[in-house]
Amino acid sequence: MAMIENRRKKSLIALTMVTPFVVTFSVFFLYPMLDMIRISFTDAPLVGAGHWVGFDNYLKLFGDRLFTLSLKNNAYFVALTVIPTTVIALLIALAINRLSGFRQTFVMSLFFMPYVLPVSVVTELWAWMLDLQFGVLQPVIALFTGKPVAVFKNPYWVMPMVAVVTIWWTNGFNVLLFIAGLRNIPSELYEAASLDGATTWQKFSRVTWPLLWPVTALVLTLQLILQLKIFDQIYLLSGGGPFNSSYVLLLKVYREAFQSNNGGYASAVATVLFLLIVVISVLQFQLLRIRRAS
Amino acid sequence: MRLIKTILLGTALSLAALPALAKQDIIWWDFLSGGDGVRMKALIDAFNKEHPDIQIKGTTLEWGVPFYTKVRTASAVGEGPDVMTYHLSRAPLGLEEKVLSEITPKDLEDAGLKTGDFFDAPIKAATHDGKLYAVPFDIHALILYYNADMLKGSPYLDANGKLTGIKTLADFEAALAWLKGKGVPTPVTYQSGGDAGVWRVFYTLLSQQGGEFVTNGKVLDGDNAEKAAKVIDTMSRWREKGWAPEQAEYQASVALFSAGKSAFQLNGVWEVPTYKDLEKNGKLGFKWSAVEIPPFMGKRATWADSHAFAIPNEGAKTVSGEKRAAVMKVIGWMEKHAIGWADAGHIPAYKAVTESADYKALQPNATYATLAEAAAFDPQTRITGVASPAYDASLNIIAPAIQGYMSGADAVQQIKTELQGKLK
Repeated sequence: MAMIENRRKKSLIALTMVTPFVVTFSVFFLYPMLDMIRISFTDAPLVGAGHWVGFDNYLKLFGDRLFTLSLKNNAYFVALTVIPTTVIALLIALAINRLSGFRQTFVMSLFFMPYVLPVSVVTELWAWMLDLQFGVLQPVIALFTGKPVAVFKNPYWVMPMVAVVTIWWTNGFNVLLFIAGLRNIPSELYEAASLDGATTWQKFSRVTWPLLWPVTALVLTLQLILQLKIFDQIYLLSGGGPFNSSYVLLLKVYREAFQSNNGGYASAVATVLFLLIVVISVLQFQLLRIRRAS
Repeated sequence: MRLIKTILLGTALSLAALPALAKQDIIWWDFLSGGDGVRMKALIDAFNKEHPDIQIKGTTLEWGVPFYTKVRTASAVGEGPDVMTYHLSRAPLGLEEKVLSEITPKDLEDAGLKTGDFFDAPIKAATHDGKLYAVPFDIHALILYYNADMLKGSPYLDANGKLTGIKTLADFEAALAWLKGKGVPTPVTYQSGGDAGVWRVFYTLLSQQGGEFVTNGKVLDGDNAEKAAKVIDTMSRWREKGWAPEQAEYQASVALFSAGKSAFQLNGVWEVPTYKDLEKNGKLGFKWSAVEIPPFMGKRATWADSHAFAIPNEGAKTVSGEKRAAVMKVIGWMEKHAIGWADAGHIPAYKAVTESADYKALQPNATYATLAEAAAFDPQTRITGVASPAYDASLNIIAPAIQGYMSGADAVQQIKTELQGKLK
């Protein structure tokens, strides 16, 4: 009897502890998400209710050239950022890991600094550095191309440059994750490897890389989710142009909803993006885990 | 006894009258943050000083999509302003979104205004199905600024130092070539790297050929496509020859003119106060003026839009009764004191002000005021107007085409595919 009472008491405590989260999650995340899915089946404007239209919005998506183009651009952006940023972060983390004491903290904070900045500051900074008339980086570009390039207004340069800005901005966080991962690797393993006559490369490929894999998988997955949601930098730097060469899914959601007053259609695009992120990230994480297991 | 009765009656009456005399606070939203914003604030202050019983509480928000989104969402929940500024080019979308409440004949009467007091074009743009949805405040348009000092020694300046002899595109391009030959870095400047600047020049040159952007629900249909392509090719040529700036952002495009690096500028009337102020402080260093855009492509026409006053439709919470009358009083006062607004470069939509001696003395405003007859407003569709899909297409397609990435004809084709679907 006493035991049952105890269990009941325990579950009551557990419930009270979980409730705040469940309530906030349901009110601010679950409900809006479900409502978004519901709205995607209507012809609702930005504010107010609409009529049920079934799968019309989704069928319309297939014929929407701008939607397919945005999908492609999103994929291109992911290719430009996810693996490069992971590799760069790993290299920086390995280098920082060789430092010690104050110097390590100092260098680490230098790399982390951009991450603290708001996106508007980051884009303004880069827009000025790359300004056609006054940009300090234009002479560097001119060195390779022979003349200054308005990078955010050039269909070939725009996506790679937005990727550079994004990597510069967000890399610090990945470096931090990698450093944490590196610190978790017991130093005895390296000592043992050294005793057995392992080279630096062997130590990396046989000790560091496999033991760091869980962190690498995490970074890759987080980056994938983050980069699929690209919006701010594009909106602020190029507005989706030129010739839609930087038009991405979230920009489409924004334009449809806030500019053209098509709440239902915008929700359909958002729902597709949501499903895309869920499917791809779950798939990727599973794949990465399989690799680790084998 | 009679005295007491009178006193009692008087007290009762004055008590009853009290609510009517209560101070009205009018919540006012606008998007005017530049030189014209300063002049609008001066008008608001003057009104507040004159009317202790009505106080305007003004807030300036960000121009463009952010402003209109905020208006839309705030009105939907009844938290909108009592009166707001609104672009008439945006009225079709505003009506579709149902954010504009009708300005009734009674409202106009409260303001002491009649539709006949205004220029026709803006009234037409503010009217839908015979109902008025906004009170036009001004007409603002693209004009041609020129630096008289730079044109000295050319055949394009008359004895009084005024621009002359530029009637056609050939004349204009000859002048640009003459300036380039004299070593002027950028003979004509405009915002060639931004949506609004590109659209205004494009739409002006299209309208000058009698071209229309939307006809019978079709974007650039029939020979309008060729006319549009011709405009884009012309703008490309200006860039190719080094006459117009490459990818100039708005501030840079204005700076080119004020720094004496450009002899001509295609920009809106709202920069007039900028140069006037610079001149007054002795910082400009050259003589300048502005004229209506000459008929380069054949016909007199210039891109134009109107700022107007509108009252948001907030369903049951829409401003009504005493407060609405106070709002209309504000609008009426502003219209009659629009000379303060004319100082910001805009042409008052209220005709009496433009006919006044004060206005006729205002230069170069009175010179370019002729454009009111040639004003080409954006077509009344959901894809045109301030911060519309047509603006996006200007940045996304026309601007890079001018940079030489695409021919005029190809760009027009892309504009059509892009915008047709959004027209519904």
